[in-house]
Amino acid sequence: MLLTYVDAIRQALAEEMRRDPAVFLLGEDIGIYGGAFKATAGLVDEFGPLRVVDTPLAESAIVGAAIGAAYTGMRPVVEMQFMDFIACCFNQITNFAAKSHYRWGAPVPMVIRGPVGGGVHGGPFHSQNPEMYFAHTPGLKVVEPATARDAYGLLKSAIRDNNPVLFLEHKYLYRRVKDEIAEDGPATPLGLAAVARPGRDLSVITYGAMVHLAVETAAALAAEGIDAEVLDLRTLAPLDRAGIVATAKKTNKVLILHEDTRTGGIAGEITAILQEEAFDDLDAPILRLTSADTPVPFSPPLEAAFLPSAEGLKAALRRLARY
Amino acid sequence: MTPSPELTAADRGANSEREWFEDLRLERHAFTIRRTRREGKIAYEWSGEITDPPPLRESGKLDRAQCLEIYRFLLMNRIMEQQLENLYKQGQVVGGVYFGLGQEGNSVASAYALDAADWMAPMIRNQGSLLVRGFAPRDVMMQYMAKAGSPTGGRDGTSHYGDLGPRRMISPISMLGDLIPVMGGICMGERLQGRNVAAMTWIGDGGQSTGVFHEAVNFAAVQNLGLVLVVENNLWAYSTPLNEQAKVADLALRARGYGIPAVMVDGTDVLQVYDACRGAVERAHGGGGPTLIESKLMRMKGHAIHDAAAYVPPDLLEFWRRRDPILRFEGYLQQKSWLTAEAKQRLAAEVEQFMLAERAAAEASPMPDGNTALSGVYCEPGCHAVQPRFEAAAPALEAANGSANLTAVEGDAPHLR
Repeated sequence: MLLTYVDAIRQALAEEMRRDPAVFLLGEDIGIYGGAFKATAGLVDEFGPLRVVDTPLAESAIVGAAIGAAYTGMRPVVEMQFMDFIACCFNQITNFAAKSHYRWGAPVPMVIRGPVGGGVHGGPFHSQNPEMYFAHTPGLKVVEPATARDAYGLLKSAIRDNNPVLFLEHKYLYRRVKDEIAEDGPATPLGLAAVARPGRDLSVITYGAMVHLAVETAAALAAEGIDAEVLDLRTLAPLDRAGIVATAKKTNKVLILHEDTRTGGIAGEITAILQEEAFDDLDAPILRLTSADTPVPFSPPLEAAFLPSAEGLKAALRRLARY
Repeated sequence: MTPSPELTAADRGANSEREWFEDLRLERHAFTIRRTRREGKIAYEWSGEITDPPPLRESGKLDRAQCLEIYRFLLMNRIMEQQLENLYKQGQVVGGVYFGLGQEGNSVASAYALDAADWMAPMIRNQGSLLVRGFAPRDVMMQYMAKAGSPTGGRDGTSHYGDLGPRRMISPISMLGDLIPVMGGICMGERLQGRNVAAMTWIGDGGQSTGVFHEAVNFAAVQNLGLVLVVENNLWAYSTPLNEQAKVADLALRARGYGIPAVMVDGTDVLQVYDACRGAVERAHGGGGPTLIESKLMRMKGHAIHDAAAYVPPDLLEFWRRRDPILRFEGYLQQKSWLTAEAKQRLAAEVEQFMLAERAAAEASPMPDGNTALSGVYCEPGCHAVQPRFEAAAPALEAANGSANLTAVEGDAPHLR
């Protein structure tokens, strides 16, 4: 069936709930209303209000309750209405869930999923990319699919994983990308990057909605004789170090692109990995193209200036190709 | 006989105090703590009368054997903490030591009210509850000594450990209040598997000020989860007295804001604590939702061993010294002729011996190998199984979401008004 990114998420949730009675959902307005983005539409009708739980507006209590339920053997999937609000339950995630297995051997099989990202004029509190707060915290897994197929397959793996997984869904993609997905299809393993476009001359390492910008820009640059490879990280923690090093060794030139802000973004970490593991293979300095170090601004011209652009990416790739 | 507060759906938000609030206390502690300036320095001043406490309030729920078992746990709690202090003074403890002196009765009697199928999560002063739940004193000692043999293998200290297995205990974290929604979630997970259980945790007068406390109690109320929350009002949050922490006269009153029942007890009266907690546990088992219990007592030492608590007015300590929970309970046992002077001496000697052996075992454990620090961040395949246990016939789950029929709980004593 041809599914949009958000429909693929709903399909994966429904199939996992049918497969495993331990899987249940909790979040704000996810029941009868079906979620702010309709990712859970209709699920309460099939699974009932005890497995699709409408909660009070209380992110710490929601995540705390999910942790407790996970300790009893359940597999809770929490919806954050917008991932920006994950700041409200930071402590539950980073201090309770993330450290639980390390400290006392108690796994927390929990998924926290919800929309991230800009490009939809959501303003400072409905557009953020909070991945690096969590990628920096040992014990958490952080996943961000770029395609409907990966949204489906990676969510299945996230639900089956015995660790707390942050599943970041780019809201710009919810209804803009589609894939043909077979019913009860396979889960996609976490921790593996994928080559979204093979190329010979240089590599763009990216994830989320930026994968599409990179693939489109690479297609445009092909006419100029620049053959760009695009590596979709898919999982930010744990990082696919081997996949990152492999593309660098293949093309010898790397640009890292992300929608997250610049300072402390994953580009810095990837740059360090490449310095450590592929220095001799590099023919050019590692470049980064990221959002600016500001809050996400609201007005469309301001947001356009904040986000990485196709023109900016073209210019950076042309510069990289010249080395 | 007056029934314990019993909420029906129709009673939610009812105006009558009696329907949601019960006070088991036999005395009301009348004193005030004020901030003053003394010889140019800001200090706390106590005003009140140093009186003797009344006898304990008869339980009716506990028999002789149970009372003597509780008494043994009380002695173990106190003597274990004396040993911890000794270990600290001998330089064998890594970091500080936290004490529950004066709060042992509350820790032990509340945990004693749980059934084996229930869950518990201790706070730092509830070391007695660990013993009730079946952990050995050596576990606590090795945690403080950061030994390889400790339940966390030296990865964490103090009472920061747990067991998802038979002892059903959740490890606390240092951030106060965060255990409360987790314990609610325990009830939610168990309910989805077909069981109504009680999940008990504690919070202090300080911890009750956190936002997550309010989120979690409201969440448990709306979801009708069997949370048993014991608010240990020990009058001090580190150096901050109660009147700078909360405006309400009694912290139990906050339950009203969530539409859940509350019980207020004298935390130095073991029998009151047990009765209130057992009532709450039974309410949880019956699908009756959460209960908030305020236990009034006093932290008789500093926040931790480094804190001499010089800010506490001496008369306040003297007031509560006369309300030592173990001495009060001893008096009760003697008055019942359940504990002779000879038996008491024998038991104390036996616990002392046991604790020395536990201490020796803790000391014998090596420090952990540094390399063990590097593994176990993630739960890898094959490392821990996550296995729910669904009951064949689940109770009426559909009814549980805020509309369960609430089961009546046996009450056993008049209110004190």
